[in-house]
Amino acid sequence: MTMLLIVDQAPYGTWAGREALDMAFSMAAFDQPITLLFTGAGVNWLRQGQDASAIQQKSVEKNLSAAPVFGIEAILADRASCVRYGLNAGDLPQGVALATVNADLLANYAAAAFSG
Amino acid sequence: MTDLKAESFTLVITGAPYSSQAPQTALAFAKAALEQGHRIDRVFLYGDGVYLASALVAPPSDETHWPRAWSGFLEEHAVPGIACIASALRRGLVDESEKQRYELAAANLLPPFVLAGLGEWVEGNIKSSRTLYFHAGN
Repeated sequence: MTMLLIVDQAPYGTWAGREALDMAFSMAAFDQPITLLFTGAGVNWLRQGQDASAIQQKSVEKNLSAAPVFGIEAILADRASCVRYGLNAGDLPQGVALATVNADLLANYAAAAFSG
Repeated sequence: MTDLKAESFTLVITGAPYSSQAPQTALAFAKAALEQGHRIDRVFLYGDGVYLASALVAPPSDETHWPRAWSGFLEEHAVPGIACIASALRRGLVDESEKQRYELAAANLLPPFVLAGLGEWVEGNIKSSRTLYFHAGN
C-alpha cells in the first residue's frame, strides 16, 4: 500500500519541506508507492512562477516538477488550505489534484509521514 | 501483558537534542519497546535529528548527555544508528571519509552512528512492522 508523505511547511524559511521531498523521491527511486500531500502553509509549494533568487534559494517549483519523473504516484493539495492561502484550482500545476483531507482519505494509505 | 504481537520498529528522529525533546522521547520509547519484547531494527536520524550523532556535544554536567545515552543504547542492544548523509553534511556532521573528501578540519561523528543515504530509511519502512517518527514538535 502507498505511503502518504505530508508537507505542511512553507517552501522557504525552513528546510523541512525540501527534506520531505527528498524522502518522497527516495521512496519512489526504490519503487515504493508514494503520494505527496501539501497542506497548511505547505500548499505554497504549488504556487507557479516562484522566484526565490532574492533570498539566494532555488525555487522549489523546479524540484517539484521532477516528481512524475521519479515515479511519485500522485500529488494532492488540501482543498481547505488552498482556500485559506488564496490558491484556486486553476493556479495549481498540472497533475496536482485537490483533496479533502479527512479520515477517509488517510484510510487509503498504509502509513503517513512528515519530515519534521 | 499477554497476546501482544511482537513488533519490529524503525525509529526516525528529526528533532535535535537540547532544542527539542525528540531524541529523549525516542529513547524512552525504545527502552520501553525492548522491555515489552519488541525489537528496534534501526534508528534513522534525519534533518536536525543528525545533531544527536555529534561527538562534540558538551552539555552542562548536571544534564543528560543525549548523544552518549543514545550511543550507549545502540551499542548495548546492537541496533544500527544511521544519520542521513545529506542532512549531516549540510549541518556540519562528518565522518573520517567525508572529512577527507571535503578537506574539512575535523570529523565529529559519534560511534556507533554511521552516515548513509535515505535508502536506509526506505529499507526500514519495508522491513520493520512499524516506522515511528519523533519530531521537534514546532
